[in-house]
Parts: sequence; C-alpha cells; structure tokens
Amino acid sequence: MNRAPLLFLGVFSALAFSFVGLVLTNQLTYGSFTTHVDEDEGNAFPLQLPGAAAQGKLVYQDLGCVSCHTQQVRREGFGPDIGEHSRGWGERQSVARDYLREERVLLGSQRVGPDLRNLAARKNAAGADFTADWLYRYIFDPKLVAAESSMPRYAFLFKTQKIVGQPSPKALALPEPYAPEAGHEIVPTARGEALVAYLLSLKDTYAYPETKNVYTPPEPKAGEKKEGHE
Amino acid sequence: MIDASLRTPLTALIASSVVWLLIASVLGIISAWKLHTPAFLEACEYVTYGRIQPAQTNAFLYGWGFNAAFAVSLWLMARLSRGALPGGGMLLLGVLFWNAGVTLGIGGIILGFSTSIEWLEMPGFASPLLLVAYALIASWSLVVFRAGRSHQIYASQWYLIAALFWFPWIYSIAQVMLVFSPVRGTVQSVVHAWFTSNLVLLYFASIALAAVYYFLPKLLLKTVSNYYLASLSFWWLVIFGSWAGVSRLIGGPVPAWVQTVGAAASFMLIVPLVILSMNFFGTLSGRWSSLKDNGTLRFTVFGVVAFSLVLLAWVLTSLHGIAALTQFTYVTAAQAQLGLYGFFSMVVFGALYYIVPRVLSTEWASVPLASLHFWASALGVVLLVGSLTAGGITQGNLLADASVAFTAVTKATLPYLFTAVVALVILAIGQLAFALNFFWTLSRASAPAVRSVKDLLAVQPEATR
Repeated sequence: MNRAPLLFLGVFSALAFSFVGLVLTNQLTYGSFTTHVDEDEGNAFPLQLPGAAAQGKLVYQDLGCVSCHTQQVRREGFGPDIGEHSRGWGERQSVARDYLREERVLLGSQRVGPDLRNLAARKNAAGADFTADWLYRYIFDPKLVAAESSMPRYAFLFKTQKIVGQPSPKALALPEPYAPEAGHEIVPTARGEALVAYLLSLKDTYAYPETKNVYTPPEPKAGEKKEGHE
Repeated sequence: MIDASLRTPLTALIASSVVWLLIASVLGIISAWKLHTPAFLEACEYVTYGRIQPAQTNAFLYGWGFNAAFAVSLWLMARLSRGALPGGGMLLLGVLFWNAGVTLGIGGIILGFSTSIEWLEMPGFASPLLLVAYALIASWSLVVFRAGRSHQIYASQWYLIAALFWFPWIYSIAQVMLVFSPVRGTVQSVVHAWFTSNLVLLYFASIALAAVYYFLPKLLLKTVSNYYLASLSFWWLVIFGSWAGVSRLIGGPVPAWVQTVGAAASFMLIVPLVILSMNFFGTLSGRWSSLKDNGTLRFTVFGVVAFSLVLLAWVLTSLHGIAALTQFTYVTAAQAQLGLYGFFSMVVFGALYYIVPRVLSTEWASVPLASLHFWASALGVVLLVGSLTAGGITQGNLLADASVAFTAVTKATLPYLFTAVVALVILAIGQLAFALNFFWTLSRASAPAVRSVKDLLAVQPEATR
C-alpha cells in the first residue's frame, strides 16, 4: 500500500459504498413515502400537527426533552414496550410512516424517562387519560401528581399573574405550599401551553395496512422452552 | 525543523483543546449531578439537563476531540511524511474559526437553539463555520503529506488520510439531510446513525489508531508484529465499519433490512478486532515492563485495551437478544465513554505527552502531575464505564419486567449514577493536572510559541527560511 492514488481511491470508494448503500438507497426507496389516504375517514394519515402542537414541538426541541425520552415503540417481543406483560407504551409498534410529516424525527436514544410516542392515548398512573390540566401540574412540579416521579420541575414554563376579573381557566389548582398569594394565579406561559398541546398530540393509534401484518413471536407450545434452545 | 514549523499552530490547537476539555468536564459534572439529583439548578432554564448534557457532549467532541485530533494528526502526518509545514497563517485562521464555531454552537444550545439531533445539536448558524474551519485546518495535513520526502506510506497515514476525507463528507451530508433540508421521516434516523457511528469509528478511532501504530513501535523500538495484516484490518474496518452504525436502530421504525445489515456489519468487526489485537498486543508481548517508566506508552496501551473492549461491546450489543436489553439504557452511554474517553482521549493524551516537549523544545514541567493525570484518568474511566454499564444493565433488566414501576427503575439506578459523578470528578482532577502541566510547560518554553502577529501571518515562517 505505497501508492497514494490507490489509497485515496480506496478510501473514497469505501465511504461511497456505505453512503450509496445506506443513505441513498433508503432515501430512494422510502424517502418519498406518502401518507395513507383513508377515504372512510376522509383524511390522510399521519395527520398534520395542529399549529399550537407544532410550536410545542419546538419547545420540546429547545429544552432537549429527547435527552431523556424516546419516541419510538418497539415491536412486541423486542423489549417491554407493548404486548402482554409490557409497559403498554403503545397500541402497536411504531412504523416509518408514523414519522412522515415530522420535519425533525426525535426517536431518542435514552429512556431515563418513559417513552412518549403514544402519550396522549395512554392512561396515567392513576388510570385516567392525560389531560392538559394534569400535564400542566406535572410539568410545574411532577411531585404534585406523581409523588415518586424523578423528573425535574419546569416551573419556568409558568408565570404568576394578578387575577383581573375572572380567574383564568388555565390557572393551576395548586395545594397549599405552592399556592400563590391571594389575588394571584399561576398560569402556563405561551411556551408551556404549546408544549402541552404537543404532548397531547402524541398519538399513534391509526392502524396502517403495514401495521396489521407485523411479525409477532409465536406462542411457545406447551412443554417447550420459549427460546427454543436447550 | 519539522517540529519547529509546527510550533505555533500546534500550540494553538493543543491550548484550545485543553481549555475545551476543562469546560466539558465542568459541564459533565453538572449534567451528571442533575441526572442523579434532578432538582439541582432546576429553576434555571439555561442549565436544564436537556441543554447542559448536549452542551457537554459537543464541547467534548468538537472542542476537545477535534482540536486534539487536528494537533495529533498534523504532527503525525508531518513526522511520517518527513515534511515541514509551509506557512501556518491560514491554519491559525482555521483554528480561530473552528473555536468560534464551537463557542457559537454551544452558546446556541444553552440559549435554546438546539437542533435536538444527538451529536449535531449545534444550531445551523454554527455548523457551516465548522466546515470552513475544517477545510482550513485539515488541508494542511495533505499539504504536508504531498510536500514530504518519504516514499513509504505507513499504516498511520492510511488512517489519517481516511479520517481526513471522511469527516467533511459525513458532516456535510448529515447537516444537509438533517438540518438544512431534512429528508422525510425516519430516513433521518438512518442518516443520523450513519453519521454518529462513522464519527466514532471512522474519525476519532482512525486518528487514535494512527497514533497507536506510530507510538507503540516507536517507543518499544521494534516493528509492529504481523504488520502484513494491518492493511487487511484497515480495509475491513473502513468497509464494514461504515455500515455497522445502523445496528443501533434495531427494533426501530426503519426497514428491517437496514437493521439486519447493521447487525451483520457489526459482527464483521470481529476481524479487525482480532487483527488489531495481534498487531498491538503482539508488539507489546514480553515488553510490558516498559510501561513502568514511559507515560506515553501507558496511555497508549490503556487506549488499546479500551479499543478492544469497544469493538467487543459493539459486536455484543448488536446481537438481537442483548440489544433488546441494553438499547436506550446507560449501557449505550458507557460505550460512548469507553470509546471517546477510554480509547480516543487516552491515546491522544499519550501522544500529546510525546509531542508537546518536542514542539516546544523543552521538557514537561512536572512529572508528578503527568503521573497524577494518568492514574486519575485510568481510575476515572474504569469507574465511569463500569458504573454506567452496571447501572444500564440493572436499568434494562428492571425495565424489561413490567411489574416494576418506572419510578422504581429510576431509583434503582441512583447509586450507579452517583458513582458516575464521583468518576467524573476524578477524571476532572486528572484533566486539571494535565492543563496545569501544559500551561506551565508552555510558559517555560525557551522560545515563545507566538512571537508577533507578523509571525502568525507570515507565509514562510522560520521552518522553510
């Protein structure tokens, strides 16, 4: 290997090989993937994010929520995401089409906190649906609604304001130590509202054709070990 | 003469890398402590974990990692090609641009302009500056290579040339396809996995391997064992390594063939693992006693051991059954630390211990500080990687058991996260010793590194005069 031109050529082709094979091939094969138009529903799925939620996604990005929360539900049998005896993080596994409309795909790589891909379709620890009010209080101080939670407080997404006329419908109902002084209320800022709108839009419940035929590991037959190895 | 021609640019590169290293370690301790005690500094938006953690990673990768890699690769290339650096004004401009770009990028992350793309968090207004700066800095390695009088192309140079070309390629592709004109859906995830793994395996690892191929035989005064296999492992690593990264997408919403190809390519990394081990440990065999009195060698060998573990862990965590457990846990963080700190940084520290006195034509100011640096780094890396791996496995096992509440999983990892903070403090002590030693040495250097502005901009500095 003493000829520089050969070395340069080899180094170039090695990376070109993987660039063409991984990046270009994927871009060509499913980079132009389209939405699924459902004539019964009169809509193209996945749905476009509503404006407030789209703004909330920017808040999610600038605060770096992706550092601790993934947004991908793995298939049944691979990790504890869905299926029987699972954490119930989704109704089905995430598929490529779910992310079609997202300008920035935030799959994430750490689960310091739970997955959020299907948050709005899940139940909270108390078994109820996630509501804006619940999320406001959770983000203001997670311990208010989930005593064990270890997420930090994001109180800077809220402001204290004087009540003028009627109290704001978005004002947080807070217990004693947190309650603001009389005549004041704590309401989410515009960013806080947008973030919650985004979280409430996280819902992958629509069943695409490709999600109906996914591989699920066969049930082990009686007397047979699950792995199939001795 | 070669060393003299490199004095000013190398001093600038090394000094900036050391400063960034200290910044990264402060940010690292803050972010690790926030992971352990989320309430720490929670009222301040700018130090939210989601901002401080990417800021730390970027300061470490682009601040410390690249500046140090530039310095080491330039010096190695000049040495091996036996060519002096003709003029350094443009190079210094590049160093200035690079550091300005990194500062801008990290400032952007802290202020909320993060792209939220792992390792590419720097906002779009900083990254083009980095590419320009890279061109201004890295092209000098090629100039030196062409100007050199050596007719041999040694293994170190293969890796250096490869790294030199690949970074601008993967970085510009990632910027265009992810930030400036994002591709549709999860094609982004494929591009991203391709970028991050190539950055580790084909940039940082290449630079460090180049240093190992140079320093091991040089310091042991013998040839590399089984050197004839080195070219095989080089091509194997570049061909399969560049495909291996997508294995991190196993189970994700990308085509199944991508995941399978990634896992297969990752498994292929066994071949370079075996050959590189034969090269390095074969060279070392019977000479382990040399480690006692040579600082550079100690760092290098630590790095070599870490690299074998990195490849081994890469192969293992690409296996389907293990990936289901370790994916999304602290194990992945441990792997990154093992590669970037245990391997790359340790090898580069070793190289700098050799390069700095030659470039400044003086001795290191303090031997005890260098020794403290080694032991603190070695202990810190072992503790950090160990605690994150053990914590990650615990986390993975508990997550897999849906009857364990999520909050209980978090609680169970706390002792490991605490150990990680302790490890980072130990590492920081070592880095502080290194920084003190470096700046002390610099101040004692007989000839001032930078004489005047005129010197910096001179097209023909002392070397070629």
